Amino acid sequence: MSTQFTAVLDALTRQRGVRASMVVDAADGIAIDWNLQFGQDGDRVAALAGSLYRKACQSALAAGLGSTGFMQLEADAGTLCLLGGETLVLVVVAERDANVGLIRMEMRRAAQAFA
Amino acid sequence: MPDDVRRWSAELARDPSSLVFLPLAEALRRQGQSAMAQKVALRGLQRHPHNAEAHDLLARILADLGDLQGAFDEWDMVRRLSPTHSGALKGMAFIRFQQGHLGEAEQLLVQAQPHDEDGTVASAIDTVRQSGALGPGMVMIDPFSQPQHLYADLLSTEQAAMCLDKAGLVLAGAYYGADGQDVAQEIGAALSGVSDEAARATRHLDIGAWRSIVFETEAAVVALMPAPASAASDGGLVVVAAVPNTPLGLLRRVAERCTARTAEWLGRMAG
Repeated sequence: MSTQFTAVLDALTRQRGVRASMVVDAADGIAIDWNLQFGQDGDRVAALAGSLYRKACQSALAAGLGSTGFMQLEADAGTLCLLGGETLVLVVVAERDANVGLIRMEMRRAAQAFA
Repeated sequence: MPDDVRRWSAELARDPSSLVFLPLAEALRRQGQSAMAQKVALRGLQRHPHNAEAHDLLARILADLGDLQGAFDEWDMVRRLSPTHSGALKGMAFIRFQQGHLGEAEQLLVQAQPHDEDGTVASAIDTVRQSGALGPGMVMIDPFSQPQHLYADLLSTEQAAMCLDKAGLVLAGAYYGADGQDVAQEIGAALSGVSDEAARATRHLDIGAWRSIVFETEAAVVALMPAPASAASDGGLVVVAAVPNTPLGLLRRVAERCTARTAEWLGRMAG
């Protein structure tokens, strides 16, 4: 079943090193649509990524830094890229050596398409 | 506060010449909505171009947004309209301090001292004098001599860095707000919880331990890195912030340098 997000998520997942891309409800971390590689649990990725992004947003507001845009978490074996709007968070899980610059650009393009 | 914002917005819509734009823009600024606060302040200034408080407010908003020269110019306007305005003098001093013009910063603070209502100018003068011990316009201090200056030589005037312990308390570094006060403790406490959430996410996503978090906000770009292992910093963080539009790659390099400096400092303390 395809949704309004399917084409954008497909384009994101075609980027080199991208393992998963998804659109998550910003308020509750529920996955709305995803494009995952075999063996990944979309609900779990959505919940964790959504929770991390919400925490960053709350912390930035508490620190007086205003609203949060793009966010990147780099770990030993992978990278998590997040880009949020008022209601949606776009999530990309990638290999550690993926080209984050390209992924970020593609995510911004996708966010504009959603808007 | 949201009720106040709504009420003030409605009042301003009814009467665009009302001075209610001042508390409205201030409230938006405090909520972190700097861009919106700037719009409100600029519209207010169109109708009240000689209102010193409005220029002071715009200066603080611009400083929040990282436009230090714009903020300086606005405070300069405040000083022309109200020569004893201590907030403007302190703001200008803060910017000159950030730019390394310590002599000028001290002069401005000395001018502000007789009009200082909250008693903060004397300690600010001390800070400027300590920083300039080697000569005017130079910040050449031994970074290891005072924890708050640990990263001073690694950062430009538009960057700040600090090291936090596991509880979010500041171990080293500083973060100066638009009014010249060190707000590292407040910023650190607010940001420290992100690392716990990051550790949880990476654990469950099976992507190993987290190495860095970089995120963009309206007022700054921020990098977080785990503090180097030591008894003092175990579970802590190195936080680096810079003005918006700072390239994220550059920010991460600066954060790496600050983390290395932290490791050296902790090693000296232990050894």
